[in-house]
Amino acid sequence: MTALATIAGVGMTKFGKQPDRAIEDIGREALLAAMKDAGVERAAIDEVFCGSSYGGPLIGQRTLRDLGMTGIAITNVENACSSGAAALREACWAVKAGRADVVAVIGVEKLTRLGGGTLPLEPTDVEVNLGNVMPAVYAMRARRYMHETGATARHLAMIAVKAHEYGARNPNAQFQNRITVEQVLGSRMVADPLTIYMCCPTGDGAAAVIVTSENRARSLGAKPVRIAASVLQSGLYKTGFRDMASSELTERTARLAYEAAGIGPQDLSLAEVHDAFASAELMYYEALGLCGKGEGAAMIERGDSGPGGRQPVNPSGGLACRGHPVGATGVAQIVEAVWQLRGEAGPRQVPGARVALTHCTGGGISGLDHGACAVHVLAS
Amino acid sequence: MTDSADYFPASQPWTERGGAVHLHGSKCGHCGTVAFPPHGLCPACGAQSGQAAAELSPVGTLYTFSEIHIAPKGFATPYAVGYVDLPEGVRLFGQIEARAADLEVGQQVAVTLGPVRSDAAGRPVISYKFRGLPA
Repeated sequence: MTALATIAGVGMTKFGKQPDRAIEDIGREALLAAMKDAGVERAAIDEVFCGSSYGGPLIGQRTLRDLGMTGIAITNVENACSSGAAALREACWAVKAGRADVVAVIGVEKLTRLGGGTLPLEPTDVEVNLGNVMPAVYAMRARRYMHETGATARHLAMIAVKAHEYGARNPNAQFQNRITVEQVLGSRMVADPLTIYMCCPTGDGAAAVIVTSENRARSLGAKPVRIAASVLQSGLYKTGFRDMASSELTERTARLAYEAAGIGPQDLSLAEVHDAFASAELMYYEALGLCGKGEGAAMIERGDSGPGGRQPVNPSGGLACRGHPVGATGVAQIVEAVWQLRGEAGPRQVPGARVALTHCTGGGISGLDHGACAVHVLAS
Repeated sequence: MTDSADYFPASQPWTERGGAVHLHGSKCGHCGTVAFPPHGLCPACGAQSGQAAAELSPVGTLYTFSEIHIAPKGFATPYAVGYVDLPEGVRLFGQIEARAADLEVGQQVAVTLGPVRSDAAGRPVISYKFRGLPA
C-alpha cells in the first residue's frame, strides 16, 4: 500500500453533552491533544482544515484565535455528517501535493446548543416541509430492507446491544452502559421500527489529527499510521425510483477506496462505520462488502462484528455509543482507527490490527441517498 | 380577506377532479423524465429548457413507510409517512392518513389533500398526502 499522507498524531475530547463549554474550547482541547501526541508546536502547523456542520461561520478561525494560530491558511468544511472526513481528505491532498508539510484537521460540533430533538434540516426542502426527519429517513430504509431480506427488529436490537458492548469499553464514549435486546425493543419509539436505543444520540465533542508527509512523520513523536485511501463522493439525485434497501453511495465510495488502497474487505482488521441508526449498520455491512447481499442479519447473529468476532465493526462504540457530534464524527473515527493500529485501544483493542476502514455518510436532502460519503483506509 | 389556511407548496400544484387529486409535475421534452415538484432543468439528461407541465396519476404504490413519534414543532405526533411510487416513474414523500400498524409495503394509496402541520401562527398548512385504498 502506498501512502497518500501520514497521521503523526491524534486526539479527541470525551463525547457527550457539554452545554456549559464553548464550542471553540471543545475544539481546542482535541487539537492540543493531537499536537501533543504528534510532538508538534503551533509554529510547525502549515494549514488547518476544520469540519463542522452546525458550528457557524469561521469555526476554524474562532477555534484557533486564542491559541495564536492565525495567519496561516484555515479552511472550513461543511458536508453534513461527513464534514470532518471531508476536511481530512483536503488535508491529505494538501500534503500529497507538496503544498503543506504539517496539517491539522479538526472536527468539532456542539449540538446541545440546538436544544434537543431531531437534527434541524434544511427548511426549504420539500420533504422537510412535509414532516420528514432523519430518523424517519432511516426508518423507511429499514422497513424496505426488512421487507426484502427478512431481517427483523430483533436484528436491529442486536446491533444496538453490540454497540453498547463496545461503548462500555471506551472511556471517551457518550454511553458506557451495557443493554439487552429486550431493553432495546421495549424502549421509546422514535420512528417505527426504530426505538430510541437504535438511534445515535446528539452531543458535543471534537477530534483532531495531525497529517504530515511520510518523511516528516518519521521525525516526529508518535508511531505513524499511513492513509492509503481518502475518497469522497456525493449521492446521485433521482426524482424517480431508487433501491432504498441498499446504499449505492456507500458501495460506490467503498469500491473506489478499496481500489485506491489496493485491498479488499477481506483485508480489514476493523471498520468504523456510520451507524447513525442500527438499521444503517446492518445495511453498510453489505455495502462495504463485509458480508454478502442480504446477509447482514446473519452477520450480527453470528457475532462476527462484535468483540472477538471475525470482522469487528465500530470497536469505539460507533455513533450509537461514542456519540455523534456531527462534524466531529469523521475525525473521531480516524482517531479510533489510529489507536487500534498502534495497539493503544485498551480493553476494546482488536488483536493485531493492521488495516482499518472508516466510513462516514450523511446529509438529508430530498432525492439523494445522502449528501456526502467519505471512506478512508488506514494501515500501520 | 385573509385565508384561514396556508398551503405547501404555496403555488398549490394540484387539480381536484372527480374525487381524485392530480399533482402537477414536469416532463422533459428531451428525455421524457417526469419530476415532482416541477423542475425547470432536467437533472436526468441536463436539458436546460423544454420542461412541460405534466399531470400525475392520483394513485400509487407504497414503497416503504414509517410512523414518526418525535418531530419538529408544528407537527402533531404520531404521524405516518412514506414513499409512494407513481406510474409516471415519480417517487413522492408524504404523510399517510393511517397508523403504521395498518399499512403494508406494496399496497395502493391515493393522493389526497389535508393538513400536514401548523404554521408559526397556529394555522393549518394544507398539502398533498396519502390515504390507503382497500386491497
